[in-house]
Amino acid sequence: MDLQPSAQSEADNGNTASPRVGVFICHCGGNISDVVDVGQVSQESSRLPGVVCSMTHMFFCSDPGQNLIEQKIREEKLTRVIVAACSPSLHEMTFRRCVARAGLNQYLFEHCNIREQVSWVISDKKQATRKAGRLIRAAASRAVHLKPLQRRRIPIHPSALIIGGGVAGLTTARDLAQSGIQVTLIESSPFLGGRLASLHRIYPTGMKARDVLGPLIEEVAGNPNVTIYTNAQLENASGFIGDFRTTIRVTPRGVTSECLNPQEVIDACPEESLDPFNLGLSKRKAIYKPYDGCYPPVPAIDWRTCTKCGVCFEVAGGKGIDLEEQPKLVEVRSGVIVLAVGLNTYPVRHAEYGFGEFPEVVTLHQMNRLLDPQGPTGGLLMVNGRQVRSVGFMHCVGSLQRKGIHKPMRDGKINEYCSRVCCTTTVHTAAELKERFPEMQIYDFHEDIRTYGRKHEDYYDAVSQKGVVFIRFDPLRPPRVQRDPKGKAPLVVTTFDRLTFGEELEVPLDLLVLAQGFVARDMSKLVDLYRCSVGSDRFLMEVHPKLRPVEMAASGLFLSGSVQGPMDISESTAAAAAAAAKAASMIRTGVIDLDPFVARVEENLCSGCKVCLTVCPFQAISRDEARGIAVVNEALCMGCGTCAASCPSNAIFQDGFEDAQVKAEVLALLEEPSLVAAAD
Amino acid sequence: MTHTETAPQGAVEAPTWEPRIVGFLCYWCSYTGADGAGSARIKYTPNVDIVKVMCSGRIDPELVTMAFSRGADGVLVLGCHPGDCHYINGNHKTMVRMPLLRRILEDFGIEPQRFRHDWVSAAEGEKFSRLVTEMTEQIRALGPLDWPKRMRDLGVGHGAGLGPWGEDHR
Repeated sequence: MDLQPSAQSEADNGNTASPRVGVFICHCGGNISDVVDVGQVSQESSRLPGVVCSMTHMFFCSDPGQNLIEQKIREEKLTRVIVAACSPSLHEMTFRRCVARAGLNQYLFEHCNIREQVSWVISDKKQATRKAGRLIRAAASRAVHLKPLQRRRIPIHPSALIIGGGVAGLTTARDLAQSGIQVTLIESSPFLGGRLASLHRIYPTGMKARDVLGPLIEEVAGNPNVTIYTNAQLENASGFIGDFRTTIRVTPRGVTSECLNPQEVIDACPEESLDPFNLGLSKRKAIYKPYDGCYPPVPAIDWRTCTKCGVCFEVAGGKGIDLEEQPKLVEVRSGVIVLAVGLNTYPVRHAEYGFGEFPEVVTLHQMNRLLDPQGPTGGLLMVNGRQVRSVGFMHCVGSLQRKGIHKPMRDGKINEYCSRVCCTTTVHTAAELKERFPEMQIYDFHEDIRTYGRKHEDYYDAVSQKGVVFIRFDPLRPPRVQRDPKGKAPLVVTTFDRLTFGEELEVPLDLLVLAQGFVARDMSKLVDLYRCSVGSDRFLMEVHPKLRPVEMAASGLFLSGSVQGPMDISESTAAAAAAAAKAASMIRTGVIDLDPFVARVEENLCSGCKVCLTVCPFQAISRDEARGIAVVNEALCMGCGTCAASCPSNAIFQDGFEDAQVKAEVLALLEEPSLVAAAD
Repeated sequence: MTHTETAPQGAVEAPTWEPRIVGFLCYWCSYTGADGAGSARIKYTPNVDIVKVMCSGRIDPELVTMAFSRGADGVLVLGCHPGDCHYINGNHKTMVRMPLLRRILEDFGIEPQRFRHDWVSAAEGEKFSRLVTEMTEQIRALGPLDWPKRMRDLGVGHGAGLGPWGEDHR
């Protein structure tokens, strides 16, 4: 391999015998030239090997600046272009396009960052000028080794697979289907609606959750572009952006629409278990519907509870009940995949604030079920047959956890983040209680409270005025929950109150509601199948929180809703709509345009040792057994270059980051004499 | 900023010696972090020259040894925090390679302070500038490395001007 950073390098691709390099140094309106002596740097650059033209301009990103570059490329017959200016994240694409307009391959352009990494971080003018010169020398040296590259274009199958049938998945499905794209929606439970179905009233509108959900499901289920699979689990996945193949396992629901008397069948079922829909507050039959108006309207069988006794079969007269149907595998083809699996509520520990010890301690989600007129108590607020007269809300259960105070979860992590939604939900619930039960005593125990969001502060103001008592505890001395020794009320909460300067308060309560936070679901299968990036908080990670908030690093995967972190319904649907828009625009273009920095195997050098197969994060490399060499799937390769660094035979090259290119850059940086002139 | 007054004892004959450090930075986290230091106008020593790679997984140990053999006084390798890799787990490979490389470099007489591997996220411009300044000062205290000369004195490998397979690096 050639290591010499000279213009006569053999590593040049041969399109020109000796590259003609143009160096364009930007003043950036003084941002650079106030610190870097651009004139001097330009002069030095003009003497670099291969450089035939070196000039400065006030703003090369401006139209006149870009025109000048184009003009020089034509006049001087430049074959390599270097712009020394701001960070490549700002204008690399601008200049690539500019170079392409002048008829040069855009990857024969090299961007050199002398603003963010020179003029803005070094105050000494001589040092800054010297560093700028060094970086330009390195860029020129690297540029000589650049090769023309073509962006990859891959056709895309005009369809989307949406994983998760909650409010986010449904919203994305609706938007995509309405724009004419074929959508397959899969849901792991037998019914659509997710967490939203089991909520009661939701802020900021105060609407019944099911009044929001019902029409949405109707729009999705009624659209001919949508195929829905409930009771569907991910089994396997292959393929890549444009052509994913996902195998799902569909568990039979045991009941079909041919069953004419579903309610009688449900009533006749002798088996019961705790109802997860009501969060264990009631029981349900082994053949069940979570609530009236659910979708699909047909009941389903809970196979873990069902003993296959056959009573349902007899009651239904043998119609529409099948207890022996086997699961079936379905292959779904899709151009893109939208992940909308949502999140879980924090599993409150036994005895955490008395949870599990005392029946008078419930979670906020359970409270939602208790307030629902269609809920397990018919909307009556009774605990142990006793009317509830005083309620306490405990904030941040499972959120804002601290090392040393909170026990870690099973994976050894604690939830240091804020779950965001619980404050407003708590205050919103308190407001409903005050409205329905004006005499009720309500206490709010928080370490910190913020009902963020448009108009949400109004809830806080409203309940404050209605007499909800806010008590601010010290997180280092969390409140304790006990049976009331005096027997006045079932529970007593003992806490320090920071708002009254550390006074110890004893608050008797009929009911304590824990505002549990949220945690990511166990998504190991999903992460494994689609090679997702996971954040340190276990939620899935977007490419960039601001610039590409609903896309994943692996191309063709989109994030919809709270799979990305705790979100309320409004935020979830906004993210879901964004994911739909992004996915639709990708599908509509018909082809995908990808960076060309893929790995390439030099067949003559490859020994077929498979080291590259083991390091590739995207399983983009396979071994051609017939030829005994590694083969890169360009559609799967994301261009990290990890394989290139691992190959013991130096047989893998990463386009745009070949050894020759990177080494030439390093050598040029180190060319400068070690002993520099005094900074006088 | 001049460092004339703080010149270390090892470099008395050349008070203006400046450490030369090559920094290999992944594009998505660390390079963006370094840009962040710029946007925030955080000043740091000019001694680290950044070489951009798409992922720290691309950093072949050979690139590091080559930098030392061609006169670098230090090499800085920065990638995304574990779990935050743009390429899922490219940085996990770096995490395995670099400690091994460090041990080898130590065997070849390169002080541990001269080779640093750390994590800098896109938001950690302040951490980046601190790392750079810290490393520059540590290497300034150590004095020039001149690995080729050290090896030449021992009569081996890169120091003799030869690569591990005998290729001529001179």
